[in-house]
Amino acid sequence: MSSERTAQRLNRILSMLPWVIAHPGATVSEVCDRFGYTERQLVADLDLVFVCGLPGYGPGDLMVAYIDEDEVVVELADYFAHPMRLSTPEALTLLAGALAMLSTGQAPAALERAAAKLQAAVIPDDPDALTVDLSEPELVGVLRDAAETGRVVAIGYVGLSSGRLTERDIEPWSVFSTLGNWYVRAHCRLADGERVFRVDRIREATVTEAIFDVPNEVPPPVVRYTPNEADSRATIRLGARARWVADYYPVEIIEDGKDQVTVVFSAGDPGVAARLLLRLGADAELLDGDEVRGRLTELKGRILTRYGWDSTDGLLAK
Amino acid sequence: MQRVIERILNLLAFLLTAQRPVTADEIRMTVSGYDQSSDAAWRRMFERDKDLLRQLGIPLRVEATDAFEVEQGYVVPRDDYSLADPGLTDEERAALWLAAKVVRIGGQATGPDAIFKLGGAPMAAAGEPLAADLGAEQEEIAEAFAAITSRTELAFEYRDRLRRVAPYGLVHRRGHWYLVAADRADAAIKVFRMDRVVELRVVGEADAFRRPPGLRPADAIPEAAWEAGGDDITAIVQFDQPIVWWARRQLTGDTVVVEQPDGSLRATLRVANPDAFIGWIISFEDEAEIIEPQELRERLVARVAAAS
Repeated sequence: MSSERTAQRLNRILSMLPWVIAHPGATVSEVCDRFGYTERQLVADLDLVFVCGLPGYGPGDLMVAYIDEDEVVVELADYFAHPMRLSTPEALTLLAGALAMLSTGQAPAALERAAAKLQAAVIPDDPDALTVDLSEPELVGVLRDAAETGRVVAIGYVGLSSGRLTERDIEPWSVFSTLGNWYVRAHCRLADGERVFRVDRIREATVTEAIFDVPNEVPPPVVRYTPNEADSRATIRLGARARWVADYYPVEIIEDGKDQVTVVFSAGDPGVAARLLLRLGADAELLDGDEVRGRLTELKGRILTRYGWDSTDGLLAK
Repeated sequence: MQRVIERILNLLAFLLTAQRPVTADEIRMTVSGYDQSSDAAWRRMFERDKDLLRQLGIPLRVEATDAFEVEQGYVVPRDDYSLADPGLTDEERAALWLAAKVVRIGGQATGPDAIFKLGGAPMAAAGEPLAADLGAEQEEIAEAFAAITSRTELAFEYRDRLRRVAPYGLVHRRGHWYLVAADRADAAIKVFRMDRVVELRVVGEADAFRRPPGLRPADAIPEAAWEAGGDDITAIVQFDQPIVWWARRQLTGDTVVVEQPDGSLRATLRVANPDAFIGWIISFEDEAEIIEPQELRERLVARVAAAS
């Protein structure tokens, strides 16, 4: 028996009872619709309520709950006439969800009203205490419309690690945001397969006249880097000031000391680790990884040349 | 599961009707479902049931049963149990439910529990093409949020230092949750990234402080990482033509930009955090260059030269 499921069932009972009490004459289908019940589940829960009540536990002490014709009847349950308050995580999740949707400018007016009412109930004195800003890159709206109407979109995409521009026709399935970036999940006609593109790396997008069949079930959006065998791997020692890298990137930690941590960093392109090492400067050290070292040396040379840096006297000439 | 639910419904009915602290013994003697167990079994059962109530967000408080505080009892104050009805319409509830379904915190999809409490909504599943994940650990964010709403101080470790703060607000921006708070050590308003907050805990009593009037926590979070800091440096950057489109997307509203005849871009930016700024410029490899000031050029070169 999982306590999670028990809690969910109790929560639904304790939410359904006050609503039925406040809406005498409610029908079975109304209650089922509103609380996601099948009729059998509703009957089971009402039967359960029927055997509970106040000490004494005789007729008159127990609650009355049954279905009469098509009507849900609950009596002698006044102590459950009020809905439960929202827990803090519940209030936060609902409010954050509403504010996030609102910040994208895509929300219906009803959500705006709902958020205002919820804000007034949950944080009456501090309406500004919670802010969610999910501002969208300009192309998000275009791609979302194309996903809804099933239009093929021609995009110019600049790969994040390669920096190369490719022209592709994509069939956008869904547009979503995770960890601060917007993505479009699509069938890519160039690659003939499913791909996820970062929206801000799409240089330009043109909605074409071509229509595609929207798949019935688009798998839930998950963007998480999963290492694969062809990846370039590098062993990197991170100093205290670069420790955040171990939390931020999906690395494998091989040694966790007090002042430094050693990780294995894998990515499809060695440039990712090389750029990271450049940004970290003296706070990190590449211990192993020839491909990454090659790229690092090359990138370092290019940047230093641009700044007119001379390795012999270190002069900076503009 | 059935017996547990019956027992909890009986317990809750009893506590909500009693409206006085009742001792564990009284509960055991009175409430149906506890009567036939051994001492040890009863204690285990009661502990589990209390956990379940807390899981549902039901406030189970412990108070003295008499003025002399000889005995402690349990009470569920009716006002604390009940929802202050926000007065939502069906349409508004449905909109909330939809938003809750497409926006997640920490990759966890929100169940319908909270919407049920608010009176339910038609559970129509919609194939929404929009979804957003706000990241972060839901529990920590929730704990910080609870402290903000109850005006309770927080203690945590941040960058290897123990902090004690008065939390004023939570802001989600650019994929991160930030806590805006007054540091007890120097009374300054500071911004903490929640994913770097360690061992967060609540300290002291509720209602310990007031948020300064006029302070909007969202204003404390800059739009770009290099705008978050204590410095104020004006920098000029040259962005080469191939990456101009990319740079433009990352520049914030008050950046002055001048397009050059060759398609490159000169931007004049305010830099408050030179470390973050230099890191950002390096991400353009050799297609961006700090033109001024010399000090930042030197720091960038020093950083790159030290990379190994």
